[in-house]
Amino acid sequence: MGGTFHAIRPAIRQLEPCSAGLQKSIGLVCALLSGLVLAVENVRAENLAELDREILQIKSEVASLSQDLFDLEESVLYPADTQIAVFLALKDRDGLELDSVELYLNGNPVSSHLYTDRERESLRKGGVQRLYIGNLPHGGHQLEAVLTARSANERFVRREVRHQFRKRPGETCIQMTLDAAAPDYEPTVSFQEWK
Amino acid sequence: MQGWIRDLNLARCLALALLFVAGPVALADTGYSDLDLGIARFALDTGDDAKALRHTRQPDTEHHTIIRARALLNTGSKTEAIALLDRLINGDYYRGEAALLKSGLVNADKDNRTPLLELASRKGHGDIRQQALYKLAEIARKSDRPDRVGQILATMDSGYWAALGYMNIAADYGKRDLNPSRALIALRVAMAMAEEDPVRQRGEALKAQLLVRAGLLAYGNEDYDKAISFLEKMVLESYSTPQGLYLHGLALSAKGNQRDAMQSWHRAKKFPLAFSGVAESWLGTGRGYDLAGYLGQAGEAYLSASASYESERVTLRKLADLIHEKGAFEAMVAGAGEAKTEWFLADSRTLTQPRSAYLLRFMEDADAQQALQRVRDLTNMLSQMDQQKHDLTVFRGVLDERLNSRAAATPDGFHPFEQRFDSTVRRLSAVRHSAAPGSQHAKEIKQLALTLSDLRQSADRFTDRVSNRNQRLQELSGNVDNALAILGRNGQRAEGALEKANAELDRQMLAYVESEAGRMVVALEKAEQQIAHLYEYLALQSLERGKP
Repeated sequence: MGGTFHAIRPAIRQLEPCSAGLQKSIGLVCALLSGLVLAVENVRAENLAELDREILQIKSEVASLSQDLFDLEESVLYPADTQIAVFLALKDRDGLELDSVELYLNGNPVSSHLYTDRERESLRKGGVQRLYIGNLPHGGHQLEAVLTARSANERFVRREVRHQFRKRPGETCIQMTLDAAAPDYEPTVSFQEWK
Repeated sequence: MQGWIRDLNLARCLALALLFVAGPVALADTGYSDLDLGIARFALDTGDDAKALRHTRQPDTEHHTIIRARALLNTGSKTEAIALLDRLINGDYYRGEAALLKSGLVNADKDNRTPLLELASRKGHGDIRQQALYKLAEIARKSDRPDRVGQILATMDSGYWAALGYMNIAADYGKRDLNPSRALIALRVAMAMAEEDPVRQRGEALKAQLLVRAGLLAYGNEDYDKAISFLEKMVLESYSTPQGLYLHGLALSAKGNQRDAMQSWHRAKKFPLAFSGVAESWLGTGRGYDLAGYLGQAGEAYLSASASYESERVTLRKLADLIHEKGAFEAMVAGAGEAKTEWFLADSRTLTQPRSAYLLRFMEDADAQQALQRVRDLTNMLSQMDQQKHDLTVFRGVLDERLNSRAAATPDGFHPFEQRFDSTVRRLSAVRHSAAPGSQHAKEIKQLALTLSDLRQSADRFTDRVSNRNQRLQELSGNVDNALAILGRNGQRAEGALEKANAELDRQMLAYVESEAGRMVVALEKAEQQIAHLYEYLALQSLERGKP
């Protein structure tokens, strides 16, 4: 058995340089492959970054176009002389949690809205919501609003309020301000015409 | 007279007023600064960035400017936003918020980012200050300066951001220390902080995650009682619950309480296999029976685990087919009725549906979130563009109609109005004297007189308006055509980008589904191995019993 081993030793020695060469080649191939993978990853990352830039540009253009569309919409559909807009704001920001608002003009329902948490939070932070925009002829009109809400003392409340106003030439902006002050959190609505 | 008044008030006034439809157009905003500010704020908060931009076109106060800057950032107009933020950083009221927003734009540039965050932490209040401090702590943590991190965290108020900071530092301690006490203390502090989070859902989700981490750390250090005490505090409807239940079972099993351990694993098995700890809980049940000496039940438990893994592999194969067929967005998001990217706020209902569960797990990865966000943004933009195209086409029709209806709007067409107006004024003058002063009739007549005076005022401006009318309508028409052309170009660009974004999402989703299928194969092999061991043992036992 020992003799056989001695006989094959030179053959192993002959193989050694070859195996070293093979190792080198394998190492080279591995390095090339990892380099290739890295390059592919880099190209993919660059492509994705380019895609993100493209999306941001489109987003910006869509927003700009939306603004133009708003302007067009108002100029085509709501000419300034007959335009009326109704807004809603909160005065006491912690007194009420709004559930819904329904709006009637001269007895006709024109708008209704159910509030999400996001919208409530925005109103609480001083946001003003445009409830309605439309056209009215000059003269006297009646605005009616039906509000349902939950007050800070856990009472569910429903209030109907009416406001008489005259549509005059030019844009008319009416702001409804909802208030519910402590301790009884009784909701009150005041109307303000922006002039 | 009453009938005549009603008649005039509703029908005639409407008819007369609508003659002025081509009058002066509405301004871009309401023209009242405070009102515009409120509207812009509401629009920004409810995701209508275009409207927020429109109502802050001329930002005359710092409040207007910060809202505009935020809306610009949301719509990708980075350069304009930075100019506004720089103005605010040198201003009086929004220095902190502006600095924090700008620091988000220079994420890669640490040298510029740190001074901005320091300014935000000094000048900001509330959530802004806390966020800035958290980000400063993260910079220090990544630079391997734990003492500085501790100093920063000590100055923070209780809440979400402080809890995140302590959670991250606990992870570092956990990796670095052989003894878990420092990491556990940091996790306990983080839990106390998370409890103070005013956003209840977010705080609870974070606390559940912290409890799992603390339980794992204690279990890893063989402190089973501590691990159980942490994991028992888990709520049963959080995202981390299945993993927590599995660890709870492991800790109980290590203490020799196989019965309670199996109860925990049984609860975990009710969640989809996508969640971490569920596949292990199926195996755990078999192991529990085995350790408790019920070998027959153990065999059945392993068999049912094996069957559930097989069926999950089928589900995953079908999911992969569906992704190939419909695309990942349609198959996983739109099809599951789940378009939210806030995975940590998902409700308990989504936790029980396999497809939603895989989506939630997939979305844990930041790259996956970005890939899905791209597709979602582009899909939303395309649907917005469709709506815009429809609206613009309608406006085009309205404008064409008005341009063609010349007769009604010429000064000649106005004569009948003049005649009717004069006759109405005469009739009103005649009835004015017959109404008793202070009576209801007198009041109504006064209102009508005012309305007539308004109509006269509008009528006097009519001739000027008519002469400008066609020019104005043509101008508007040109604007519509221009907008439609831009819309067409943007639509093509968005379609191209959506194709690329979908391809990337499909690639990532398929890789994820494949890795999940691999996980199921490993679990299946484990279950089969256990069954083989068990049957081998039972066979040897029966051989032993058969010996004379």
